[in-house]
Amino acid sequence: MTDTPLLEVRGLNKSFGPVQVLRDVDFSAYAGQVTALVGDNGAGKSTLVKCLGGIYSIDSGEYLFDGKPVSVHGPRDAAALGVDIVYQDLALCDNLDIVQNMFLGREIKSGIVLDDITMEQKAAETLASLSVRTVQSVRQHVSSLSGGQRQTVAIAKAVLWNNRLVVLDEPTAALGVAQTAQVLELVRRLADNGLAVVLISHNMNDVFAVADRIAALFLGQMCAQVSATDVTHSQIVELITSGRSGDLGLRQNGATA
Amino acid sequence: MRVGPSQEEIRRSNLGALLRSVHLHGAMSRADLTTSLGLNRSTIGALTADLAAAGLVSEGVPREQRGRAGRPSLVVHPESEHVYVFAFAVEVDRIVAARVGLGGVVLDRHAAVRERGDRSAAQVVAPIADFVRQMQKAAPPGARLVGSAAAVSAMVRREDGFVRLGPELGWVDQPLGEALADVIISTGVDLFPATRLRAPAVPAQRHAPDDDLVDASLARRSATGATGTAGSGGGSGDDLLDGDGDLPEPGEPGTGSDATRPLVQVRNNADLAALAEHARGAAVGCDNVVYLYGDAGVGGGIIAAGRPVTGHGGYGGEVGHMVVNPAGKPCSCGSRGCWETEIGEHALLAAAGRNPSSGREGILTVVDAAGRGDASAQAAVRQVGDWLGFGVANLVNIFNPEMVIFGGTLREVYLASAAQVRSRLNRNALPACREHVRLRTPVLGEDAALLGAAELAFEPLFADPLDFA
Repeated sequence: MTDTPLLEVRGLNKSFGPVQVLRDVDFSAYAGQVTALVGDNGAGKSTLVKCLGGIYSIDSGEYLFDGKPVSVHGPRDAAALGVDIVYQDLALCDNLDIVQNMFLGREIKSGIVLDDITMEQKAAETLASLSVRTVQSVRQHVSSLSGGQRQTVAIAKAVLWNNRLVVLDEPTAALGVAQTAQVLELVRRLADNGLAVVLISHNMNDVFAVADRIAALFLGQMCAQVSATDVTHSQIVELITSGRSGDLGLRQNGATA
Repeated sequence: MRVGPSQEEIRRSNLGALLRSVHLHGAMSRADLTTSLGLNRSTIGALTADLAAAGLVSEGVPREQRGRAGRPSLVVHPESEHVYVFAFAVEVDRIVAARVGLGGVVLDRHAAVRERGDRSAAQVVAPIADFVRQMQKAAPPGARLVGSAAAVSAMVRREDGFVRLGPELGWVDQPLGEALADVIISTGVDLFPATRLRAPAVPAQRHAPDDDLVDASLARRSATGATGTAGSGGGSGDDLLDGDGDLPEPGEPGTGSDATRPLVQVRNNADLAALAEHARGAAVGCDNVVYLYGDAGVGGGIIAAGRPVTGHGGYGGEVGHMVVNPAGKPCSCGSRGCWETEIGEHALLAAAGRNPSSGREGILTVVDAAGRGDASAQAAVRQVGDWLGFGVANLVNIFNPEMVIFGGTLREVYLASAAQVRSRLNRNALPACREHVRLRTPVLGEDAALLGAAELAFEPLFADPLDFA
């Protein structure tokens, strides 16, 4: 296990007007590991992720990358660090093909024209490196892809840009069994290839199937960050629903264990 | 008293190691081989030259410069097109035959549906004759067959491929190894190299990962009563070439040092799938692996310290018959409460109230229904997940593996019930044993056992590459 987390936030606070959404949140993600971020609706998962991705500015707290303090003031800063988020809606353009989607806004040019051949090669290489065999052609339009294939393309897009940390927001929601299995295996492979992966999921089977560590948020507070080899399903459910479980979780006075 | 290995033995072992590297990792530059094998450059050069002269590898200038200073190191390629093995898989519903080249490349593949019902081994493997002829015809001129192996979902005697028990195939005491050998001999395929394989006589090669698969326990032939696949006495393996396909008399004792091995080596499919995942799948780099394969039954392939654990006769690893619930259901093996009665396909389908013989399709339907919120399917998946976790916890305590792989339909069952499996494992296994265990699904798909058979078939080549020159 790596000692220094790739990404670490300490004492993060975030308010929207009078509502404090995140309170003194500590969170870390390690290279080569899948860190599952779990919590009930409204616990602050999405807000935390958007803070990591630079979409929301943080009110106070430290943001460390590779052990060094950095300041992230926008998505570009996060992208420069190698942090990418794959949202639930995937943000793919239906009317473009896979290559065009993967390079959208960052097209490779040769002179003043697009270098389609290089882009196609790189897209195919990325999909192959993730052992994606379900996509027939990288020139297929995204509108012709299944839900699982779209998810795969969105994840491959995040990997293509040599990102070091990828956040996946509910990647298996609304997928069938076979596709869920493929996406879970893909998530696992990303981490086994050395990336830090943060997985947001409500499905405990998905969490336990791929996660190395589990971070549970409860009403804006991080109640526990534990190794997946040390906890049980019912403990995680208790952490999500009540913020504590036995020795784990928030104490009465609100401090974290 | 054992004396140190001779120069010749060291050279043979180094040749095998180099060939194995190129086989497992694909084309490698001489520089990379120097680093990975820990031999000096001139030794690598000499070994490569020997292997190239034997037609096992070829050398070439690297296609693209990698931006390093100096003359580019020559790249050593395996001769995949010209050095090959036959791999077979005899499964519940299908029979597969493949021609696999050095480097693990599937060059040609044929499959047939296996009809269920009472059929002997000889009847079941009959289609393989056609496959072998076709594959042989498709092979380029000068290509060499260096071995054959088969995977079967049954308990099989290592030394001669005699199936002792294959409940899903409906087999008791079927001479599968002999049947396969007969089929291949009947095709008239040139078997020359495969028939005179010698068991490695070199103690220096004890480190070879698949040593106990290779070193086919020939000395025990007489003790267990070989049925005579290729059961010839010491050094007389060429008997098999005597045209008419007559097999030598069974039961002759081998000398152990210079005896033949069966023409077609036969192993349990889970053992071979584990071997394949270890060689080029999910478990590359993991030397302690438990591979679980589930269909109607549950089989296991165990790799400990980099070597397959198959036991005295080759029957080991039957994790599906580990008793987990003494008060449970009767098992096809005659016992009660075996693990496979709680986690096999029948168990999940029965618990979910589905047709218990709907097989893989049925499992997918139940898992899908559970994902969509069907309460009875969810309860069934959770129940099976709990039992799966119990058994995995036991295995983790016993073997302390780095990785447990869920193959066959257990892949779907694991992914759908990972919360239960992990929770049981975390609650029941010892912390020191479980802390580094990774639970994974296979990478190689449904042909894993076939690829494992190919790996096994190549082993004699690595034991003494120049014997095939």
